[in-house]
Amino acid sequence: MPSLIADFAKKWEKFYHVFAESGGYREVLLGLRNTLLIAVLGLLIGILIGTLIAAVKVLPRYKRVTRFFQKVCDVYVAFFRGTPMVVQLLLGYYVLFPLLGISLPVLEVCIIVFGLNSGAYVSEIMRGGIQSVDPGQMEAGRALGLSFSVTMGKVVIPQAVKNILPTLGNEFITLIKETSIVNFIGATDLCVAFRYIGTNNYEFMVPYLVMAVIYIVLVLLITWGIRTMERRMKRSDRV
Amino acid sequence: MTESETTARTPLIRIEDLQKRFGSLQVLKGITENVYEGEKIVVIGPSGGGKSTFLRCLNCMEDPDGGSIFFEGVDLADLKVDINVHREHIGMVFQSFNLFSNKTVLENIMLAPLTIGTRRLRKESLRQGLRGYRKAKKELTDRVREEAMSLLKRIGLEEKADEYPSKLSGGQKQRIAIIRALAMHPKVMLFDEPTSALDPEMVGEVLDLIRKLADAGMTMIIVTHEMGFAREIADRVFFISDGVISEQGTPDEFFNHPRQERTRDFLSKVL
Repeated sequence: MPSLIADFAKKWEKFYHVFAESGGYREVLLGLRNTLLIAVLGLLIGILIGTLIAAVKVLPRYKRVTRFFQKVCDVYVAFFRGTPMVVQLLLGYYVLFPLLGISLPVLEVCIIVFGLNSGAYVSEIMRGGIQSVDPGQMEAGRALGLSFSVTMGKVVIPQAVKNILPTLGNEFITLIKETSIVNFIGATDLCVAFRYIGTNNYEFMVPYLVMAVIYIVLVLLITWGIRTMERRMKRSDRV
Repeated sequence: MTESETTARTPLIRIEDLQKRFGSLQVLKGITENVYEGEKIVVIGPSGGGKSTFLRCLNCMEDPDGGSIFFEGVDLADLKVDINVHREHIGMVFQSFNLFSNKTVLENIMLAPLTIGTRRLRKESLRQGLRGYRKAKKELTDRVREEAMSLLKRIGLEEKADEYPSKLSGGQKQRIAIIRALAMHPKVMLFDEPTSALDPEMVGEVLDLIRKLADAGMTMIIVTHEMGFAREIADRVFFISDGVISEQGTPDEFFNHPRQERTRDFLSKVL
């Protein structure tokens, strides 16, 4: 037992050396920045796309154009929910962007693919949120002469977002964790940073342990942030 | 208003053979009626008889399956008609109030006049150049806010302007829903059981407000179960059962000398 502790202490020292003195922390900070960047911007793009899709999906269906767009949205959602994110990342980086003739830095590709993927999931969350809003709200808006889209944008969606905030938080957490796959196309994230430290002296135990702790802390912080936001919102509509 | 006076004028709303189906259930089986300016119509009848559907078809909250609704000469049942423009002139009040719960009382009242007014301003400024748009927008906002506040004052709720609907009583909510509709200067008001969701002690304040509107000459169509109120306020009563207006007349004719067996049966249960 004491030898185990001594062994661990030695490993910790090795890790600390690479982390603090040989500049490993810079790699970790870069990885952390990329992880957060991909997750935050991905979620923002996802919310935009998701809201749009959800709005199209709840449109009254008697026009042929709407039915067409609803089909397009269905295909989109089916694709992004039906394939692994790694596959989407690879397809984006090696197929989609080259075919379009666009060459983007790998980080941007990650952000866009995460955004597109998240859009599919957020659209389902948002649709549930929209359907949870009392239909009377839409009726009241329409009866006053407001259009479907104005009532949607100013009355229904704000209430829907409030209802789905906790679920959106979960989506954010999922995105944070999913960023650990971006090394498939060569982007640096938290995972890559710690592997880099480990490879430096072939000592992986401590780096990967610290990495896990950082992920947990990140997720706990976000969970706490969502709780706080929820509480504040509830206060505003307490009777 | 006498019979000869009303028939001499063109009706504000002309309903022709109005039909509505929900799936295989034929709810409205062909209703033909005229509503004249300034008239107060009360619609009563057994539940499930189609009276709410009738009202909701008038501003196409439910799209009619057959027949026409001419409002100021335009057929609202025609899907090519821009219904939003005409709904501005048809106020509607719901049983469950439907105040926008993410907006304050003042925002509730201002939302429609401000949004629709702004859209018009934008169209105009496209034609006349963008100069003066900002000034006009500010004038519009001030005017709409001022009017909303004066409407709130009329019902004595100006101190609630910045509250959210969840903090209000049912009676307050319904009165605000009524002035929210009035802020669009409607030519006719549709009331869909405006007091049915209210606690008994709050029914009075809402009926008082509707009465004041009626006295000011507003054309209105009211679906209600308040028989006393119906008798007092109506120029004409429509009795809708089984998807048709099976009897109609002045309150005196209708309540004191009903002609149909169906009507007598209904009245004996509710009076």
